[in-house]
Amino acid sequence: MDASEREQYRAAIHGDREAFEMIIRTHSRTLFAIAYGILQNREEAEDVVQDSLVKAWKMRWRVRDPEKFPAWLSMIARHRAHDAFRKRRSLPFTHATTETSKANAPDTVAMDEELHSALATLPELHRAALTLRYFEEMDYRTIENTLGLTNGALRGILGRALASLRKQLRPALASTD
Amino acid sequence: MATVHDEIDNWLAADLYGELSDEEQRQLHTHLVECVACRKTHQETKTMNKILEETLAQQKPDPAFEQRMLAGFRNRVPKRTGLLKLLAGLMRTRAAQVTAIAAVLLGLVQLGRMITGETATPPAARDRYANEQLFEQPSQVAATSEPGRAGALAKSDELAATRPQAMPLQAPPPASSVEAKDKTESFAQTEQTIVTGSNIPMAQEAGPKPGETPASEVANRKLVRNATVELEIVTFDDAVQKITAIANDERGYVATTSSQKQANGKLRGEVVVKVLPENLDRFLQKIRTLGELKNQTLETEDVTKAYFDTDARLKNARVMEQRLIDMLQTKAGKVSDLLQVEKELGRVREDIEKMQGELKYWDSQVQFATVTISLAEKDMEEPAAFLIKERSQLALYAPDVEKIYNDIKALASQKVQITNAQLNRDYSGRVSATMSMLIAPEESDAVIARVKSFGRVENFQTQTERIAQGGSGMSENAKTKRDKVELNITISREEQEQAFQQTSLRIRTSSVDEKAKDLRAVAEKQGGRVRNSTFSRDPDGRELANVWLRVPMKNYPALMQSLDSLGKVENVTVQRQDRTGTQTDEANAPADISIQVYSQGNIVSHQSGPLATLRRTLAQSAGAIMWSLRMIGVGIAFLAPWVVAIGTIFLIAKRVIRARR
Repeated sequence: MDASEREQYRAAIHGDREAFEMIIRTHSRTLFAIAYGILQNREEAEDVVQDSLVKAWKMRWRVRDPEKFPAWLSMIARHRAHDAFRKRRSLPFTHATTETSKANAPDTVAMDEELHSALATLPELHRAALTLRYFEEMDYRTIENTLGLTNGALRGILGRALASLRKQLRPALASTD
Repeated sequence: MATVHDEIDNWLAADLYGELSDEEQRQLHTHLVECVACRKTHQETKTMNKILEETLAQQKPDPAFEQRMLAGFRNRVPKRTGLLKLLAGLMRTRAAQVTAIAAVLLGLVQLGRMITGETATPPAARDRYANEQLFEQPSQVAATSEPGRAGALAKSDELAATRPQAMPLQAPPPASSVEAKDKTESFAQTEQTIVTGSNIPMAQEAGPKPGETPASEVANRKLVRNATVELEIVTFDDAVQKITAIANDERGYVATTSSQKQANGKLRGEVVVKVLPENLDRFLQKIRTLGELKNQTLETEDVTKAYFDTDARLKNARVMEQRLIDMLQTKAGKVSDLLQVEKELGRVREDIEKMQGELKYWDSQVQFATVTISLAEKDMEEPAAFLIKERSQLALYAPDVEKIYNDIKALASQKVQITNAQLNRDYSGRVSATMSMLIAPEESDAVIARVKSFGRVENFQTQTERIAQGGSGMSENAKTKRDKVELNITISREEQEQAFQQTSLRIRTSSVDEKAKDLRAVAEKQGGRVRNSTFSRDPDGRELANVWLRVPMKNYPALMQSLDSLGKVENVTVQRQDRTGTQTDEANAPADISIQVYSQGNIVSHQSGPLATLRRTLAQSAGAIMWSLRMIGVGIAFLAPWVVAIGTIFLIAKRVIRARR
């Protein structure tokens, strides 16, 4: 983290709105990736990001160390997404995705659905890590920082996540080959 | 260590996401070449990655996403405007924060001051106070030792800087200002005066030696010298003779002699001797040899100034008198003027006589020194006689206070004086009496014995005092005399006396009322008196009678025996108060007996049975319900104010937090 970035976080913590809006610009995609990873639904994820930003602004004085500000933001987003996920547990979670991918070829649609249901079986953290990787193309280190993971934990997480997906999608994969 | 094959999933994922180092990549590829299963997995993973990329790419947020987020944020968190924003902005700067905290602290301190009423003393005022202190007591400053003054100066260093005159006086004054110098001189003068003043008493003690001083000075000065001497001598007359002889030797004379005989036959007296002032000291030395010197003082009064003042005024008055006489002789003017002159002349002459008298008095005082000698014979304090005073306190218990009161009054005779007699009856009808009498010594024993026989003696105390008369200390040949005996008597009624023995017992019988009556009869036969009795009957037919009796100790055993005839005696408790070391008339001492006579009553109680039990149970449960209702009420009443208070605080806090945002 360079000095200007840190200064930006510090200013935001001290109530500088400009700085905070700048952080919204740079970080909302990351937050979206986390939220989407957990919720698997774009609208809900957007709402969660919005809520998290507002909440972060209100609670900004709680952060002592400006360096931890991005991790703190991600944590808020994770918690809020988790809350939202729990609330709608009973609802089917694939309907949104099916709608968005109607235009695709029938076999792709089937593939998508299978992928989504496979994703749904993964732990929230694994999903969040995956989306961060695929949406933002972050390297391991950045993902670990964002999700507050310890050094090297992500390697196992992503390995297990991919393995799990692979096992579930094996029949489908065989057909595409 | 785990091999590549064991963790192939992690390795493949890391390879996919470009997280493998070159070395690791080489290892992976080596393994893939060797392992068919892993090769297959590698293939699958790559395919899946592709699918994932494709699928998730569709879910990526659109380019306008950030704008939407920003707009949403701005919409939900409106910008602060006006004063609030200014304040919030201001509070963000460190300087403003420090200032605010300082202001709050200052405010608290000021508030504390207001509460405690403490006011800060301005330092200037304190210094001024110190100055005043120093200047009010210049002599003290001059008199204090060097370190003391240094301390005083250190206390007010500012003072020392601004006012050099307070510097040590022995040191030469600092060459600062003329004013300072003047002040220093005035201090020095003060000191000198003190020294002179303190020298005077010292000179007096030593005794001035007129013979040694130059004659001219003595002649000019008018000194009145007086001495007093206190002596203890063996015989007064002898001493007076010797004093007269010494006075004659020293060309003086005995002016007055007075003596006084004490009760123990010793003499005390005073002799006033006039001697020439120059012989005074020698005279005093001779006088001292007559006996033991107790005290001696020598005073010298300088009347020179007053003497010459009066002398001058006398001369003026004489001139005045002469002029008035001249005016009368010329007989000029009106008659009224002449009368005025005559009157004035009379006044002036009166003054002249007064002044002449004064001068003469002084002359006589100066001519002779007065020595007052107080003489006292030895063993002045030996007592002449001893008086033995006896004082007795007697407390009596009697059945009839008034009778004894009158009996004792009847004892009054020439040898027995009743000095005080008082009969009291309080609101509850209790009678008590106090009496005081003086009895001639020879009659005292008989009278006291007689008074004692009137009632039961509770307490008797005698106090004997030997009083020395006409002095203090021991004397072998002083007479001893007995004074009248003072006797104070307190009479109280017997009932108030505490029982010597207390007994309580229960008697079970079938007919309580009848037995209670029998009990009274038995008690009366044994000389006992019923002090108190109660009778009660409860709804179950149980009867209960309580009787409290008091009998003399000698009849107690007989009474106890006769009680057996009344019924079954149960639960006997006896409490005896042995007053060790006192002589009490045990046979006549009162014994209290408390007797409870009771019957069993009905076998089936009115208070038992299923109905009664049901009634009681209902009553108890109703009571329990009422009690819990009351407790709930108390709880609500206790909690409600807290709930209101906490709710209010919470609301206010919420407002404040919202305002902050």
